Amino acid sequence: MNVSLSIICERIKRELGKSRRLPVGTIRRREFERFAIAADDHNRLFFDDAFARSHGYKSAFAPPLYLSSVMGWEAGPPQESLRADGTPSNDATALAIEGLRLMGGGQELEFHRPVADETDVVMEFSVTNVEFKQGRSGELLVIEVQKKYLDGEGRPLVTCRENFIAR
Amino acid sequence: MAAKIKYDAVKAGDAIPTVTIDHVSRPDFVRYAGASGDFVPLHYDQTFVEAAGIPTVFAQGMWTAGCLSRCLTDYAGAGQVRRFKVRFARQVWPGDTLTCRGKVTGKSEKHGEKLVEGELEVVNQKGETTVKGNFAVAAA
Repeated sequence: MNVSLSIICERIKRELGKSRRLPVGTIRRREFERFAIAADDHNRLFFDDAFARSHGYKSAFAPPLYLSSVMGWEAGPPQESLRADGTPSNDATALAIEGLRLMGGGQELEFHRPVADETDVVMEFSVTNVEFKQGRSGELLVIEVQKKYLDGEGRPLVTCRENFIAR
Repeated sequence: MAAKIKYDAVKAGDAIPTVTIDHVSRPDFVRYAGASGDFVPLHYDQTFVEAAGIPTVFAQGMWTAGCLSRCLTDYAGAGQVRRFKVRFARQVWPGDTLTCRGKVTGKSEKHGEKLVEGELEVVNQKGETTVKGNFAVAAA
């Protein structure tokens, strides 16, 4: 096993089972509308309150993939704080993989209730697994995390299990 | 809530609506970077990707997943999606044409809710699968 991968694997294993509760903040309509347009999804349920109410919802709401797709909830990290791969080094969910390139492998999402404008959201973040593997192009780590998004009353909104490849 | 599909009318093998993305472009990735905060330069910085030995920029995986999710929101209604799983199989490049499609594989009930389940994929113009997944949506 590559020494640095071995060290990083053990470092991440020490995080297993530890859950961090992180404030996401208040969901803003303009931001999820931008997200919908970026995915070329002009569904009126994301934009039009009256249309949403006529379909049984309290108001327009965010596209299903919005919460789990957004990588940062701050105004944005300064350029000098980014790692070489462009990911922020000071993100509370950042994995301790300094020197490795991180690639998303996929997500498994459960949707519990729509996410409307002005919903206060917190995220419970945990690393759920890390495995060393021998891939076709060399050694790598497969890292699995869980992000559980809750509203201000603690009700689940979205549960996301996501895996990454680090090499 | 407004379920668009009738549980009793759906059967395994039924196709769900196809979404086609013609000519994927770099501005698609840049717009998505701004909306999602995914500023990894592999998705927009030609100098960076060439230095990494990659011929050109490629799409954020969740951008492609977002395009695929439109099949479900069109089919079942945006508030009816209960489960969505995607695995990124291959990169999406500028100039690609993508077809997002899926089919029903079964039905079930969970917590008193009727669910339609199925599989999904995104294929490029060469017929290669770029994203593979599965889903469950609520039905009336």
